[in-house]
Amino acid sequence: MTLFETVFSGNDAVYGLTEQAIDNAISQYGADKAVSFPNTAYSLPCYYSVTGVKVGTLAELKEALGVVKTLMTREMKTHDVFMSGVATALCAEFIEVLKYIDGAQPYEEPCYGHLADAIIRELGVPLVTGDIPGVAVILGKAASPEEAAALVKSYQAQGILVTLVGDIIDQLAEAGMKTGANLRVIPLGKDVTSVIHVVSVALRAALIFGNVAPGDAGALMEYTMKRVPAFVNAFAPLNDVIVACGAGAIALGFPVITNQADVARVPKSLICQTDVSKWNATSLEARDIKIKITNVDIPVAFASAFEGEIIRRKDMQVEFDGSRVDCAELVQSCDASEIEDHKITVIGPEADEMELGSKNSIAYVVKVAGKKMQPDFEPVIERKFHNYINCIEGVYHTGQRDMQRIRISIDAFNAGFRIKHIGEVLYSQVKNEFDAVVDKCEVVIYTDPAECTRIRHEVAVPIFNKRDERLETLTDESVDVYYSCIMCQAFSPSHVCVVTPERLGLCGAVSWLDAKATNELDPAGPCQVITKERVIDENVGSYEDVDEAVAKFSRGALEHVTLYSIMQDPMTSCGCFECICGIEPFSNGVVIANREYSGMTPLGMTFPEMASMTGGGVQTPGFMGHGKHFIASKKFMKAEGGIERIVWMPKDLKEFIKDKLNASAKELYGIENFTDMIGDETVAEDPETLVAFLTEKGHPALGLDPMM
Amino acid sequence: MPFNQKPQKFNAKINTVTIGSGDKTVSIGGNSTFPFYSFDAPTENTAKVGIEISDMGLEGMPESIKAFYGEAASMADIAKKAATVEGADFVVLSLEGGDPNGTNKSVEELLAVVKEVADAIDCPLVVEGCKNVEKDAELLPKVAEALQGRNVLLMSEKEENYKAIGAAAGLAYDQLVGAESAVDINLAKQLNVITTQLGVNAQKIVMNVGSAAVGYGYEYVVSTMDRIKAAALGQSDNMLQMPIITPVASETWGVKEASASEADMPEWGSVEERGIDMEIMTAAADLAAGSDAVILRHPESVKTISAMIKALA
Repeated sequence: MTLFETVFSGNDAVYGLTEQAIDNAISQYGADKAVSFPNTAYSLPCYYSVTGVKVGTLAELKEALGVVKTLMTREMKTHDVFMSGVATALCAEFIEVLKYIDGAQPYEEPCYGHLADAIIRELGVPLVTGDIPGVAVILGKAASPEEAAALVKSYQAQGILVTLVGDIIDQLAEAGMKTGANLRVIPLGKDVTSVIHVVSVALRAALIFGNVAPGDAGALMEYTMKRVPAFVNAFAPLNDVIVACGAGAIALGFPVITNQADVARVPKSLICQTDVSKWNATSLEARDIKIKITNVDIPVAFASAFEGEIIRRKDMQVEFDGSRVDCAELVQSCDASEIEDHKITVIGPEADEMELGSKNSIAYVVKVAGKKMQPDFEPVIERKFHNYINCIEGVYHTGQRDMQRIRISIDAFNAGFRIKHIGEVLYSQVKNEFDAVVDKCEVVIYTDPAECTRIRHEVAVPIFNKRDERLETLTDESVDVYYSCIMCQAFSPSHVCVVTPERLGLCGAVSWLDAKATNELDPAGPCQVITKERVIDENVGSYEDVDEAVAKFSRGALEHVTLYSIMQDPMTSCGCFECICGIEPFSNGVVIANREYSGMTPLGMTFPEMASMTGGGVQTPGFMGHGKHFIASKKFMKAEGGIERIVWMPKDLKEFIKDKLNASAKELYGIENFTDMIGDETVAEDPETLVAFLTEKGHPALGLDPMM
Repeated sequence: MPFNQKPQKFNAKINTVTIGSGDKTVSIGGNSTFPFYSFDAPTENTAKVGIEISDMGLEGMPESIKAFYGEAASMADIAKKAATVEGADFVVLSLEGGDPNGTNKSVEELLAVVKEVADAIDCPLVVEGCKNVEKDAELLPKVAEALQGRNVLLMSEKEENYKAIGAAAGLAYDQLVGAESAVDINLAKQLNVITTQLGVNAQKIVMNVGSAAVGYGYEYVVSTMDRIKAAALGQSDNMLQMPIITPVASETWGVKEASASEADMPEWGSVEERGIDMEIMTAAADLAAGSDAVILRHPESVKTISAMIKALA
């Protein structure tokens, strides 16, 4: 039998039973007899939410059944299957409501049957906050009471609300498990029709929490699909009626997981998993449920208070030192199927097999997978490791990539801290902080020296090289969008940074990749996408899209900003710039000063004096704040001729940027050792001496057109 | 040359939010002008004044306030007396005793106070949390449940706990949500965005954009409120058109100008007058910067600010 035929036949069977039950009730009580569920303002909640019609009497119920019949089309399309599923569910509700005639109490301990509105309001809040991450509907009979209990406990441990239908209720009692709403395990009833009481919860949640208008079936299904994280676990054997109910669940967006091997599978919706011990993982993945991690399971404290803690040699149990032996830390994005969530493996000796005070190798690979994960986020996550590991009480971390250094203190070791706990910390922090992109996470820690060498040289270093290459090839032209950053607006209300691959935020802390990740992790946050489709002038870097974004995010304070000019609508500064450049008229060039420089510049101004002209989100042509790394960018004041305009910067800054700046100058103008032509405080602090120096060196700026 | 008035017209306005149920309600917001610019367009609702009481009763209150309520007053008595203060439009119950770092009262104890106060008065009620985000996330949903039908404003919804408080107050129990941020227009807006994404109706949100006592970094407050009103009206930014309510008392009564004793600071004059003055000055500045309602503690301040609002309307 095809899935279509199964559903239709199950639907027909339930419809027949319902019709008969209603007719029997009418002949017994009369058509005017009132029907209702107790403690709800929503009549027959499922029928009411789907149709917008309230049913109060048996006559109206009979009429409603006519409406249900119209859903039972048989055209062999997916739509027919879904609607027949919904029809089956509604029939189930009719059968159930008949049980409540005359105020009867058809369900007794431990079964709940119909659930009151008050319970939904109470459950609704933790569902919205994610404290109840999902709702499991378990149906049928497990192979054994132990299997039933293990499955329910696995959900209970995750805070998932479990509802039960059928023989599993008795099986749990047999296994000695307590049930009840306070334990988040709610037995509904033994008949399969009692499953409607959880559907009723989902639909009333849509009315109460989703402001869905009763009768708006489209909005209703969209709400349950997007906002009610429910799924069905159905034990074999499945009969036609259960399959028909399952079609109803799927119509609401709830996947069905079963161990019936011969079931017709529907990707993402009707899933066969014969190993019941894997139902938990399969269900969570199918419904896209993420479990919040509330505590980090390690024997020492974990808090930012420990971030600055230093561990001296005499207090140290063991250390790992990337500058002496092979070490590495790495985030690797993988396919979800390659990862077992929360698996932590240590390959090689644990801390207690290492000598006191010894230097060892360590390499940890954090494998992550997620629908929204991108390889570009790997370094963003990786950069947080320093912070995560440092927050552990008695553990200290410096460096990154293959140059990290970790010390574990004797106290932490004696408290039971081991290398595997580093894995726990990395796992929990990555899952918590990056939950928007990371669905699954596994940590492998290598301490075996040969393995560390292999991981470092064969896995990590090639990946680092690839990333560096990507960063180098990442140009403003090669990307489709830029990002705004308004993190500083609390202090500088009208400032907006436009972050591009070749121009990082002027604070030096927000690169284009960071902005991209921030946008993904926090979509309503400070970094928003700026398109770059409508070019005004490519040379100065002006775009209509950029102007619009800047006007919007500065709330009208700025109308035009160019990306590559310091003379025409230069980008504004908040006040936290690493450097300022300002024009030096005698040489046709610019002078750059960094925040750390406390002396005088040839402009006759110190850094603070230049800063007073530049900050506060004001455009001052001729002055611009920027990050240190922007100095070597090919886009640095490109509109005015680029880096060959740089005539002076403090010696320390020159040293810092030398290699990159020389490389860019070579590439752009064919000039060797360009930084040697640039003056500094040891050469000149006034314009005359500076020009003399530049003339002697043959600095190219002298031959350029004046900037103003 | 005759004076030629050019009204500054905006096509947008601040949302009107009505607090309370039955005969006694109070509406805030609704205006399409800058604060007190009644010459630009008619004022829909004048600014409103709330009087704050605490679950801690009179413990820790200044002597002058203790004297007003009378030493042995019950919470019901205090609430009733507060509701009769001249110029008070609504009563605000602060649940500061719930703070785990302070008295750490249990949720049940606090709910008993909430019910006692709610039963004692029929005027509009605003409830403030204890300022601890975890405790508030647990406490305020229970308050929302307990006060079903009263249409109360639940303050203290922050970015860290917006889901619990937003869902309980705004969705499950049909109350009003007070979204609290820390003196930053972007954070204020972001909280409104995520709260509405939760499904809360934007018309049911009131903002507390943060405050300070005058003289204590207050310029940030002015600039933030000013820019929020400018964006709400001038740019029709509907994620900033929620009315602003500003707790004043909690900022001003702790500063040294209000609390230093006359023995320590004889040259500063009466401690009671200083406390009232700080409260009045801060409230007046908040209203001029853009608050649609302020929360005060001293009956004299309530009376004075209410008179100021009437005089400027």
